[in-house]
Amino acid sequence: MNSAEPLLKIRDLKVSFGMGHHEVQAVAGVSFDIFEGETLGLVGESGCGKSTTGKALMRIVEPTSGTVELDGVDLCAQKGKALRNIRTRMQMIFQDPISSLNPRRRIKDIVAEPLDCWKSVTGSARDTVVSDLLVKVGIDPQVYGNRYARQFSGGQCQRISIARSLAMRPKLLICDEMVSALDVSVQAQILNLLEDLKKEYGLTLLFIAHDLAVVKNVSDRVAVMYLGKICEIGPSNTLYEVPGHPYTKFLLGAALEADPDSPVHGDVLTGEPPSPMNPPSGCRFRTRCPFATQKCADEEPLLSEVAPGHSVACHYPLNVKTPRKRAPRATA
Amino acid sequence: MSDFDPILLTVNDLATTFQTAGGPLPAVGGVSFDLKRNETIGVVGESGSGKTVLTRTIMGLQQRTNVTVTGSVLLDGHEMVGASEGDKRALWGSEVAMIFQDPMTSLNPVMRVGKQIDESLRVRLGMSKADAKARAIELLELVGIPSPAHRYDAYPGQLSGGMRQRVVIAIALACSPKLLLADEPTTGLDVTIQAQILNLLDDLKERLHMSVILVTHDLGVVATRTSRIIVMYAGRIVEIGSTREVFSAHRMPYTRALLESSPKVSNDPHTRLVTIPGRPPNLLKLTQGCSFAPRCSYATDRCHQERPELQPADEPGHAYACWNPLPKTRKRTVKTT
Repeated sequence: MNSAEPLLKIRDLKVSFGMGHHEVQAVAGVSFDIFEGETLGLVGESGCGKSTTGKALMRIVEPTSGTVELDGVDLCAQKGKALRNIRTRMQMIFQDPISSLNPRRRIKDIVAEPLDCWKSVTGSARDTVVSDLLVKVGIDPQVYGNRYARQFSGGQCQRISIARSLAMRPKLLICDEMVSALDVSVQAQILNLLEDLKKEYGLTLLFIAHDLAVVKNVSDRVAVMYLGKICEIGPSNTLYEVPGHPYTKFLLGAALEADPDSPVHGDVLTGEPPSPMNPPSGCRFRTRCPFATQKCADEEPLLSEVAPGHSVACHYPLNVKTPRKRAPRATA
Repeated sequence: MSDFDPILLTVNDLATTFQTAGGPLPAVGGVSFDLKRNETIGVVGESGSGKTVLTRTIMGLQQRTNVTVTGSVLLDGHEMVGASEGDKRALWGSEVAMIFQDPMTSLNPVMRVGKQIDESLRVRLGMSKADAKARAIELLELVGIPSPAHRYDAYPGQLSGGMRQRVVIAIALACSPKLLLADEPTTGLDVTIQAQILNLLDDLKERLHMSVILVTHDLGVVATRTSRIIVMYAGRIVEIGSTREVFSAHRMPYTRALLESSPKVSNDPHTRLVTIPGRPPNLLKLTQGCSFAPRCSYATDRCHQERPELQPADEPGHAYACWNPLPKTRKRTVKTT
């Protein structure tokens, strides 16, 4: 998996939105790699910039600065035809399955649209491709192909979205909260389907979600975002078992396991994320962090490796073997 | 009724049917259970299983011309089904209050949050303006809103989702209800905020001696916060019992399927999830038999023809509606393979 060159290389990606006289930095400089064939989970609370990151990779929103390299080609430097060309190799699946399909179009036309745009497959071959895709996602093209998108339930709409995203045979699929609007029984069906298709089509996934259990189930590696920055990234099992960043620890502590014997975590994170319009100095998490010191306010912690492949952006990472002295709490 | 009666709420054979263009739609059918004082009961089920309609019916909100409600909801000696608007209004607030699902839309956007809390205090308790304001600020403090006196003048749009849900809770608590109906109180909130709100509800329940009906689709939410659970499917109770019993010794296949299909934090990456084939049934086309039968791997002819009624399991209070229940085991650990 960890082949030398990553499929997608993101360096210091920043996205800002203007708000009147203010500027909000939704993504404040994130860097990570996605290797071919892996699933990278991206978690965080609402407003942390995880969706914006996903959209910026596709250039659905324009990055303010930074580079996004797909197979060595910088997407941010491309324009016009070249950008459209390269974009066929990455596709996105959105959160709300129902509103992301045109209710007044037949589903076989929805799935065929990428093919029609590119005229890559035409005539009867096109119909075969569309039928195959629908079969792959578990929808019978003979029975349902001519129905309108509005006639389908949320789970089925998500299946149709998946079929549409696979039409161009992409290498990278960006899934933005793709199961959060679905019931658990349907969610399980879609997650299993995604795993099957990932194997069959050799896909690489960026799986953006707020549900930690869902992310754990699909991801090889997980990145945790807080207020526009990545605070921890590492292999799923390691990150969930021995989180290095205090925020990750609290996030995991707040995730509820469906088990009456699981302990209720007493240490709940207090307060809410600060406004991204006016982020705290230094470490962005320090205002809610029980371990914060003056150093956290003065100096921004950078992502640094605590174990192979496991990086944490914290001056006082947890669960690290090396002995350390904890500095006294800041008064401010 | 006296406060010594341990049962606060008795729901008996409650049915809510909507008259639709496609025929009668039985959103809730034959639901019976009771709730003790100071008890929290969880209601779980997928969307469309009738959880929300059940709570709205208990509250007495489902009375329009196209809705038929039969059965009985006895709340602290007051019958809610068929009660007049005026009678119900006298009970809302002081006997029963509700937290609605969406904190974004259940507040009036053009009215200061303090005024929205004052409203019930002044109308129901007849407080003076100044007293109501003082009490509203107390309530804001009770639900954990920082600088409550300042927030009293804020508009809902100036507050975050978690803060708005706290305001909604403060409104519900304004007249010290005996029963709090919480319909998906944390859906749409982040996990860290969800933990704060659930802790708050737990704490307030103890302090104010309330009973709580906690409606949710998230099994993690009910696992540690309730003493009993109701599992609903297609408008009916399919299993009811103590939380521990329902999680560890459930007898109804649907309960197991629901538990097994939810992903777990303890799973390894790429764990295959157990799925329930098919989809919840169309309530307009319910058959005579068990409504879960078409999706159930244990279904027999009898399941398709005859509807199972709730029957008691070994533990008192635990009941399930199934012709072919899962075998009895004292310890059933939920596993996904």
